[in-house]
Amino acid sequence: MADWVALGDRAIRFARPARPGLSARTIVRAVRAWPGVVDVVVARHDVAAYFDGVPRATPQWHAWIDALATAPDDPTPVRDIALRAIYNGPDLAHVAEVTGRHPDEVCALHAAATYTVDTMGFAPGFAYLSGLSPALELPRRTTPRTRVPAGTIAIAGLQTAVYPFDSPGGWHLIGAVVGVQMFGPDGPLLQLGDRVRFVP
Amino acid sequence: MSFVVLRAVGLVTVQDLGRLGRMHEAVPPGGALVRDRLVAANRAVHNPDDAAAIEVLGQLVIRAEQALEVATDTSDARVLAAGDELTVTSEPRRVAYLAVRGGIAAPLVLGGRGALLSAGLGSMIRAGQTFAADALARAAPAARAPRRASKRTDDPASAPIRLLAGPDPDHFAPGALDLLVSSDYRILPSSNRVGTRLDGPALPRTSAPEVSRPMVIGAVEVPRDGKPIVLGPEHPTTGGYPVIAVVATADLGRLFSIRLGGTVRFTR
Repeated sequence: MADWVALGDRAIRFARPARPGLSARTIVRAVRAWPGVVDVVVARHDVAAYFDGVPRATPQWHAWIDALATAPDDPTPVRDIALRAIYNGPDLAHVAEVTGRHPDEVCALHAAATYTVDTMGFAPGFAYLSGLSPALELPRRTTPRTRVPAGTIAIAGLQTAVYPFDSPGGWHLIGAVVGVQMFGPDGPLLQLGDRVRFVP
Repeated sequence: MSFVVLRAVGLVTVQDLGRLGRMHEAVPPGGALVRDRLVAANRAVHNPDDAAAIEVLGQLVIRAEQALEVATDTSDARVLAAGDELTVTSEPRRVAYLAVRGGIAAPLVLGGRGALLSAGLGSMIRAGQTFAADALARAAPAARAPRRASKRTDDPASAPIRLLAGPDPDHFAPGALDLLVSSDYRILPSSNRVGTRLDGPALPRTSAPEVSRPMVIGAVEVPRDGKPIVLGPEHPTTGGYPVIAVVATADLGRLFSIRLGGTVRFTR
């Protein structure tokens, strides 16, 4: 049976179910339907459910977590988002050098993939996009930058992302999105489950 | 029904009870640092508990431009006449609230009226800005006796702050939690609405790898230097440092009321 740990007196945390193809938005939808749940965070390996009061420790949680593995997919159609990109980041040359490729090839590899918003976290509206070419896989910078400008396209590990706000950042900066705000009055541009492409 | 800001020192923002239900979009709940105090100020002027008020981490001086009914979390409601000045100072606590009858007029964005600086919503209040009471002031029944600001039970010094152990005990050396609850910690001046930074005995960690995991307000995160950080209302929804314990929800207000430089004591 799936286990959980208390995250204080109003939330619990448990392992993200391992079923292939189980999307983050399906998890959010299913967990939000639990009694008393007001919010959900899906991280890379964990899920947290937040309650509107002190939840009574219920034995059903084990069964509910187990049931996520067979939760029906969120029927809302997946959105396709195309982001205009310009590849001019300060780390582009470094990425090209370390991966043994021409900078144009780095851009082409980045723009050729279709990404999926797999988790959100770190900063409001910050979407972790999975699907980066393994040819571009790099560890994070050893020294994070104290300020990365909003709209910057960055890569680390097998993920890419666009910084929604000026913020510190430890990823490699390869470009910027053009003509779009990643976080506006209606909230974040990207949502869990979105398919995202970068168009040079 | 409006006032002008003559002076704003420190972090002064519009706040309400926050934006719930958006953490899956990495938007933290935000809202008042000490919810009970915002509610007390609102109730003193007959506002709904979640009306927008002004949160003062420092000092605020205002001048009424027209007659205005106001209250703070520590003073009863009163009417300022046009031209009257009022100073609101968070000392001897970390934070104070100024409520005006009807609530502060501020646009409702993503379900809240408060500033969430990490999401670019709202801004720090500066001298020269003008604020108006919200339209609901006109709908509120007139001529009620001002309420007394209710007696608060969140005196920071009254008792240790209760912690719930976990969720990451494997990331800490044996005795780390005992050290946390048996030592005095000082609230560092670098604390903000994102996190309250503590100085005191470093909590020994194991070398377990750091992974980004879901966070919650009150989580006691421990970076590599061992000095704990208690997450506040603008916390990142995920974080990579292990969490040794989480502050009991009922005690968050007392913890966040302790002035910068003050001392906190925890208990299990």
